[in-house]
Amino acid sequence: MRTQQAVWNSQTNWTSLKPELKDASLVLYFGARQALACGARYAELRAMFPSAHILGCSTGGQINNNDVSDSEIIAAAIKFDSTRLSLCRHHIDDPLQSHSCGEALGHALKADDLAGVFVLSDGLNVNGSELVAGIIAAIGPNIPLTGGLAGDGSDFGETLVGADCAPQSHAVAAIGFYGSAIRIGHGSAGGWDVFGPRRRVTRSSGNVLFELDGEPALDLYERYLGEEDSKGLPGSALLFPIQVHDAAHPDSAVVRTVLAVDRAARSMTFAGDVPQGWTAQLMRGNFDRLAGGAADAARQATVGLDASEEDGKFSILVSCIGRRLLMGQRTTDEIEAAGAELGAGTPRIGFYSYGEISPHAKSGLCELHNQTMTVTSFAEVRG
Amino acid sequence: MHRLVVQQIAKATDAAGRVDVDAFAELVGRAYDELDHDRRRTDRSMSLMIEEIDEINRNLERLVAERTEELRAREADLRTQNLRFEAALSNMTQGLLLYDRAGRMVVCNQRYIEMYGLSPDVAKPGCSFRDLIAHRKETGSFKGDVDEFCANVLRNVAQGKVTRTVVETTDGRAILIVNKPLSDGGWLTTQEDITERKRSDERIAHLAHYDVLTDLPNRVLFRDELERVLEGVQSGEQIAVLYIDIDEFKSVNDTLGHPVGDELLKTVAERLRSCVRKTDIVARLGGDEFAIIQTPLRNPAEVTELVTRIYDSIRVPHECAGHLLAVDASIGIALAPEDGADIHDLLKNADLAMYSAKADGRRTYRFFEPGMDERVRALRALELDMREAIANGGFEIHYQPLVNIRDNVVTGCEALLRWRHPKLGMISPAQFIPVAEDTGLINQLGEWVLNTACAEAATWPHHIKVAVNVSPLQFKSRTLALKVAAALAASGLSPNRLELEITEAVLIRDDEVTLATLHQLKKLGVRIALDDFGTGYSSLSYLHRFPFDKIKIDRSFIKDVAESGGSSSIVQAVLNIAAARSMTTTAEGVETRQQLEMLRRLDCTEMQGFLFSPAVPASEIMRLSFPQSDKSAAKRRGADLR
Repeated sequence: MRTQQAVWNSQTNWTSLKPELKDASLVLYFGARQALACGARYAELRAMFPSAHILGCSTGGQINNNDVSDSEIIAAAIKFDSTRLSLCRHHIDDPLQSHSCGEALGHALKADDLAGVFVLSDGLNVNGSELVAGIIAAIGPNIPLTGGLAGDGSDFGETLVGADCAPQSHAVAAIGFYGSAIRIGHGSAGGWDVFGPRRRVTRSSGNVLFELDGEPALDLYERYLGEEDSKGLPGSALLFPIQVHDAAHPDSAVVRTVLAVDRAARSMTFAGDVPQGWTAQLMRGNFDRLAGGAADAARQATVGLDASEEDGKFSILVSCIGRRLLMGQRTTDEIEAAGAELGAGTPRIGFYSYGEISPHAKSGLCELHNQTMTVTSFAEVRG
Repeated sequence: MHRLVVQQIAKATDAAGRVDVDAFAELVGRAYDELDHDRRRTDRSMSLMIEEIDEINRNLERLVAERTEELRAREADLRTQNLRFEAALSNMTQGLLLYDRAGRMVVCNQRYIEMYGLSPDVAKPGCSFRDLIAHRKETGSFKGDVDEFCANVLRNVAQGKVTRTVVETTDGRAILIVNKPLSDGGWLTTQEDITERKRSDERIAHLAHYDVLTDLPNRVLFRDELERVLEGVQSGEQIAVLYIDIDEFKSVNDTLGHPVGDELLKTVAERLRSCVRKTDIVARLGGDEFAIIQTPLRNPAEVTELVTRIYDSIRVPHECAGHLLAVDASIGIALAPEDGADIHDLLKNADLAMYSAKADGRRTYRFFEPGMDERVRALRALELDMREAIANGGFEIHYQPLVNIRDNVVTGCEALLRWRHPKLGMISPAQFIPVAEDTGLINQLGEWVLNTACAEAATWPHHIKVAVNVSPLQFKSRTLALKVAAALAASGLSPNRLELEITEAVLIRDDEVTLATLHQLKKLGVRIALDDFGTGYSSLSYLHRFPFDKIKIDRSFIKDVAESGGSSSIVQAVLNIAAARSMTTTAEGVETRQQLEMLRRLDCTEMQGFLFSPAVPASEIMRLSFPQSDKSAAKRRGADLR
C-alpha cells in the first residue's frame, strides 16, 4: 500500500502528485465548505484519479501530517495492493431518518469479508448517534466503524459530503474495506477536565437542555463565556463541553458538545441526549492535557493495528472543532503529539469535525463522540 | 526555539525562503491574543467557580445552621421528654428496674430505692444485678441465697418467661414482683407494694365467707366447713348439726325497727359463741337462722348439754338499744352419720327437726326422728286444709258459758274456735292455732271469729256478753280496732257486750302500738280481759300497764284451789288485786263443786268449766244456757249447781 498527500491552495493549485498513484483506489479529501462548494476540486481529483473512489467532506479545519490549515484543501491518494473497496452514499432529509439511513448504508456494505467501515456524514442534519446505531444494526458490533461528521467552520450553516460525486449537503457516505490484508486500528480520547460544582439537569427534552439547577442553561454559558465569547455562540460553547452522567452510575459519564442555541428559549441543543435528572458538570480544556488526549488516541490506534514496521500505513485523524477553537494556533500541539505516536513514516490526513465516530475506548461500542480526537490507522499486510 | 515560533516562521516563509515579517508578526500577535483570551477565560472560569463554590458553601453553612437548630430543638424536646419520663418514673407507685443483657442496671426509679431503703450510691445505673441483690441482703430487705436467686432470675429471663412472685418482706409487707424479659436480652422488673390490696382481697374473701353483722361464718362457709368435717368423720364417730331459729324475731323488727333487730342478732351470736367449744363452728345462715356444727361428738348427751347451755344463755334478756328483750329459740338437731351421711340429707333433716320444734310450740328442741318428714308434710297439709276450711266453712265456733258465782246466772259465753277436719275429725286449737299464726292465716281466722261471734251474740238476750280470744299477732296488723268496730257495726252488737281476751304475750314487749290499740278498743266501749293470768313471765307488771276490765285466772291455779296447801292463797291474792283495781275475775277450768265453793268463799266473780258446761255449738247454747224468756229456768239450772 502506498500513500501520497497533496495540497490545494488558491495560488499553487494542487501540489505534485506521483504518477504511479494514478491508479489509486481511494482518494480522501477535506476542505473548507466554501472551497468545496463549487465542486471544481472534485472534478480535478476525478480527472487525476479516474479509477479511484473519491470521498471527502467540508470541515472546521484540515489536518495534513503536522499541519493544520483552514484555507487549503488537502487530499490523500491511497493505492491498495489487495484490499477491495466499496463506496456508497445516501441522501438524508431529516435527522429522524438517521437510523434507517445508517441501516441502508450498512446493508449495502455488508459482506463476509468486510473488514472495516469509514463514514463521513452531513454534520447538521443527521443524528450521529442514530446513524451509528443504524450502521451497527446492519453490520454488527464487531466490524470497526470509524468516521466523522462534516463541519462548516464556526458558521454551522451547511456541511458537504461527496462520495464519487461533487460534495453535497444532506449526504451520508460510507466506504467499506474488504479482504484479509487490511488491518485497522482505532483510538479515541478527550482530555477535557471537569471543573466547578456538580449541577442537576432540572429541565431538558431529548438533546435540548433548558435548565440546570433551575437556571436557564444559556444564562450559565453566557456567564462563563463572558461578553467576548458569547458573541461566538453557538461555536464558542464548544469551549465548555459538559459531562453528564446518571447520578446512580457516575462511571458511565459522557461528554456532550453544543450544536445550537436558542436565545429566545434560553436553551441549548447538544449533539447527544442530556436526560433530565442527570448530573452535569462543565468541562474546560487545558492545552497540555488535550494534546495528551490526542497522543493517547494515536497510541490506541497504533496498539490496535496488527501490522509490522514494513507494512504501508496511513492514518485518518478526526478531531473535534471545539478543540481547535480552544487551542487556536496551539492546535498543532495535539497534531504533533498524535503524529509523534503514529510515527513520521505514517502519512496522516484528517479534519476538524462536528462529531467523531469511533468505538468507545473502554466499552468498544461504536458511538458518536464529541470533543475528542479519534484516530483510525490503516495498514495493508503484504502477502 | 519554541516550536510554535518555528511553525509561525515556517508559515510566514514564502516558497523562496523569505520570511514575511508582517505575516510572522501577525501570527505572533495572534498567538498572544489567543493566550490572553485563554487566560481571561481561565480567570473568569476560576472566579465564577469560586463564586459558585462560595455560594454553595454559604448554602451549606445555612443548611448546617438550620440542621443544628433543628437538632437543638430536638434535643430540647428530648430533654423535656426525658424530664417527663423522669417525673413519671419517679412518681409511679411501682418500683421499676431495667437491666441490659449483661445484667447491668440501666434504669432504677426512686420508688424502688425507697421501697427497700437502699443506698443510691449502690443502686445506680451500671451496677450489676448481683451486686444489687447482695446490697439488699446487706441492708436486710432480702433473705436467702444471693447467687441462687440471681441464677434463677437469669434462667427465667433466658427462657423468655414472665414471672410473677409475691414476696413477704422482713417488715411484713407483701411485694408483687414481676420480671419481664425484653427482646434485647435484658429484662424489666416492677415491684408493687400490694400489702393493702392483699388486705383488701383478704377482707373481701372474708366478707364472702363471713356474715357482716355478726362476723360469724355465713351460709357458704358453713357448708364448706360441714363438708370438710363430714369428710373427716371416721367410722364410729359422730357430729351434730344444730339449726337454731329465733322465735318471733320478725315481730322485733316490725315493732322496734331493724337497728334493734340487728343488735339482737349480734347479742344472740355472742351468746351462741360463748356456748361452744373451739372445735365447734357457729354460723349465721341468714335472717334469724343460726347453725352449729358440734364436733367432735363423744356421745349424743353432749348435744343436749349444748342445747341446755344455749337456752340458758339466750333466755337471759338482751339489752338492745335501750330495750330489754326476751328471746327464745326453736332448735332442730341432726346427727351424722345416722341422720344423713351426705350434707344434703343432714341439713334437710336438721331443718325438719327445727320445723318440728316450731310446730310443737317453739321454745324447744327436737332431735331428728325418721317420720318428722312425714310430720312436716302433715303440717303443711294441715295448712293447706286450713286455707280450704277458711274458704269453704270448715270452721265452727263453740261457746262455753260463763256463770256468775253469786247469782248463779249465765252472764256471757266465751267463743272458742273449732275445726272439724273432713278426714281427721276434730282438730284442737292447740294444734292449728300455731299453724295459723305461722302462716299468717290467723288474721283472716280471727276476723271471721270476731264477725261470727258478734253476729251470734246479737241474737242472744241483751244482757249476755260474748268473749272472743285475740291473738297477739292480730295486734300486729294495727287494724284490729277497725275490725272490731266493723264487726260491732255489722252485727249491731253493742260494744259493752263484747269482751276481748288477750294473753300476756300481747304485752310481752313494751309496745307503744299495742297499748295504743288497746286504748282504742277501750274507747270503742269493748271490755278487755287478761287471759291465762299467772302463767306468764311477769303477770303483775301487765296489770300495771293497762286498765284491764277482767282477769281470767288460769286453770292451773283452780285445779288445787280447794285443797289444803293448794293455791287458794294465791287465788285470794289475785282476787284482792282485781277487786282493788275494780276488775272482775273469772276462774277457768272449774270442774268440781269443792272448787266452786272455795271460789264462792273467795269471792271470785265468775266461773267457767265442765262443772257447768263445756263449749257447745251455737245451736245448743241458746237452749242450754238461757231459755228465751225463762229466767227462772236459768235460775233453776244455776240452783242445780248449789
